[in-house]
Amino acid sequence: MITGSRRVSDYKQLMKELPTLRHVDPERVYINLPGERCPKYTVHVEKGAKVKLGEILGERDGGFFKQPIYSTVSGTVEGTTEKTDASGEKIECLVIKNDYQDTYHESITDRPDSVIADFKKKDFVEILKDKGLVGLGGAAFPSYIKLDTDKDIHTVVINAVECEPYLSSDYRLIKDQPEDIFKGLSYVMQAIEADRGVIAVKKTKRELIEVLEREQGRFADKDIRIAKLDDYYPQGWENATFEKAIGIKVDVGTLPMEKGILGFNVSTCAAIYEAVKHNLPVIKRHLTVNGDAVKFPQNIRARVGTSVKELIELCDGYRADAKAVEVILGGPMMGKSIPDDDAIVTQTTTSVLVFESTDHIEEPCVRCASCVYSCPVDIQPVSIMNAVKRNDEKAAQELRADRCIECGLCAYVCTSKIHVTDYVRKGKALTETK
Amino acid sequence: MEIVTKSSPHLRRPQARVTRMMRDVSIALLPLVIFAIVQHGLTALWILLAAVFSMTATEYIFYQVMDLLERMREAKSETEESIRDLRAEKKELRAEARKKKTEETKEAYESFLSTYKEKLAPLKEKRKEENKTAPTEENKSFRLWNSGFTLTNFSVVTSGVIYGLTLPDAIPLAVVMIGGAVGLLLAKLIFGGMGQNIFNPAAFARVFVVLSFGTLLSYEAFVADGAAGATPMTFLNEYIFDSSVTDHYGIWTLFSGIGLPGSLGETSALLILVGGLYLALRRSFDPVVPLTYIGTVFLLSLTVMFSQGLDFWFPLVHLFGGGLLFGAVFMATDPITSPVTRPGRVYFAFGLGVVTFLIRIFGNLPEGVVFAILIMNMFVPALDYPRWAKNRFSARAAVIFAMVVVAAVIITNVGVHYVG
Repeated sequence: MITGSRRVSDYKQLMKELPTLRHVDPERVYINLPGERCPKYTVHVEKGAKVKLGEILGERDGGFFKQPIYSTVSGTVEGTTEKTDASGEKIECLVIKNDYQDTYHESITDRPDSVIADFKKKDFVEILKDKGLVGLGGAAFPSYIKLDTDKDIHTVVINAVECEPYLSSDYRLIKDQPEDIFKGLSYVMQAIEADRGVIAVKKTKRELIEVLEREQGRFADKDIRIAKLDDYYPQGWENATFEKAIGIKVDVGTLPMEKGILGFNVSTCAAIYEAVKHNLPVIKRHLTVNGDAVKFPQNIRARVGTSVKELIELCDGYRADAKAVEVILGGPMMGKSIPDDDAIVTQTTTSVLVFESTDHIEEPCVRCASCVYSCPVDIQPVSIMNAVKRNDEKAAQELRADRCIECGLCAYVCTSKIHVTDYVRKGKALTETK
Repeated sequence: MEIVTKSSPHLRRPQARVTRMMRDVSIALLPLVIFAIVQHGLTALWILLAAVFSMTATEYIFYQVMDLLERMREAKSETEESIRDLRAEKKELRAEARKKKTEETKEAYESFLSTYKEKLAPLKEKRKEENKTAPTEENKSFRLWNSGFTLTNFSVVTSGVIYGLTLPDAIPLAVVMIGGAVGLLLAKLIFGGMGQNIFNPAAFARVFVVLSFGTLLSYEAFVADGAAGATPMTFLNEYIFDSSVTDHYGIWTLFSGIGLPGSLGETSALLILVGGLYLALRRSFDPVVPLTYIGTVFLLSLTVMFSQGLDFWFPLVHLFGGGLLFGAVFMATDPITSPVTRPGRVYFAFGLGVVTFLIRIFGNLPEGVVFAILIMNMFVPALDYPRWAKNRFSARAAVIFAMVVVAAVIITNVGVHYVG
């Protein structure tokens, strides 16, 4: 296939129709102490302490921001242990034994709508900061910093594209709680006084568009539009979404805020609603457990801190005839394959995928240029690969390997089954060493 | 069951395979092969078989030899390495001793020397022993298959068929074989095999045959009586603007290729276009290249037609009369010898068109397609050069390209004015 093709089969037909499983609460939750952007942390609770749902356990330190750690169950602190997280590394986790009471902490109270109506930007920023909200699409960037921008924002874009194949967590979220998303969006618009809000979804997800359009009627006083985007990968990449949804091109390396756009992932948007209205941190999140090596794929709404092993067991475990499997946290294109299944669900885990491991036989590159034609950031993966092979720093720089967003499309389309993305990553590293 | 880790992406496009691409080209060539056999009988079959066989055999033998050498090297490499290490150490210590000239380094060198021979002797003995036995029983045994052989992915077969189809009908089979072997060896294998070659092996083989054995080839079938040349192109080479070419070869003959003299596969424009359409639908080639190539030749011949006051036969004969369509669809699209960016491919194909047309009009040769392909192959690294290779047309590049197109048209027409 020599073609500029950004189409990726999405393997979602079945998963979209499966209802969301309300996950039976786990016996123990493991709360990750260091976060993705926060290597340092302090713990405020002792071993044996009783904690309530939504109680602050400690604080993560990300350098330029601090982030409280919340308990996602009520129960007893049992100490710390090491679990794998999405980075594939073992990290320190706080173990809390669930008492199945779900006693909420005193601070978790609803805010009346009349109070929220008077909120200004600083109030919203304060709430998001308190609740330690981060980008739930995977970026884990603190949401309050994004909201606290001093730029003049005209459009808020909610990214519900979910272009990664196999994932249906955002899809289920929108189907289950469309109202939360609209309310979350209107809070954001209220906070930064944006004129319009745009919810970007894929054109092919007709059921979602139906649900969203019905909801749209109830928020007629706000200028909220639904942008229907083509079914391409990586359409959910922030810059691609902005370009297709509102027609504003944001270059790689510039912040969307500078162009007057603020983007949130759809699950972040729902979490903003929960935080503002119910004063809740992220307790549960929608997850997909999918892949060809798991027996019964499921959509699950799981608590943050649930063990991945338990989730896979909930789906009846691994397919018995699979010899070697890859366990992936995140999507199949950009997700990270982790070394063992003794991992945990963090705030930013969108899915657990289990694939039977296949070894692709690499053939010599025939320069078919599929990777060049497909690349969303217009670099030439094949030339970068050749530059990396001869360790040519200068060429890697001239080929702008640093622009790569590691979407994985070049390896996906490769006719020779070469792991081009890996080479481009190395090229990126080459440009960075300088 | 075990859990393995890999880096993302964890999915691959199932349809994307080199084998599929190469096989598609072979399938697209099939109607032409059948047409050639119908038109020229068994002669065509023998030529095609000789072409495919010579290329396949060359590749097979080449990789058998490479494999054998590799195995022999592997067998004795361990001892060889220790000997090399020992010698390197000696050299280093000696250099140190000479440079610094202190007692310490001198002593170190001398103490090393005292044991050096003792250490070296058994190793040399061992190597001698190994050389005697090597290749070992396991290594000596004949292996039918070898690692580098790419027969399974159709790449050699495709090259062979393409080469065979570019040949004229009257050619000694020995010449076909020599051309195929030399073409594959010099244009593909010595560059490092598939994916590494800068020249199209089929085009190279064809050019080699023309230059080395030119007098041994000729077109025999269907040559019209009284025509000055055998094919429309050789006729035009003689009488560049003579419309009587269409008296010998009607438009339908030119298009369908039935009864048209010429190389085995290049005569039937119709079947070539069918093959091209198949490849385009299967996305096994990049249609930008043939379209630009054919478009360029058409544009240039059209302007010459207007400037010389000719009729529409002129561009038509240039389009269908020679090897242009075959070259454009099956040879110029070879991805290995094309640039990798879309603008690069457009420039590449434009260059092909210009060079082809210039050779046809001004050159001594009747046909310029294969030469144009080889010439433009040399420009591929330049077109891919990181500093200016871009994935999309910038406004500036488009303007410059448009200027180059206009310049090419003007130069061609001025040249034609003086030559014609």
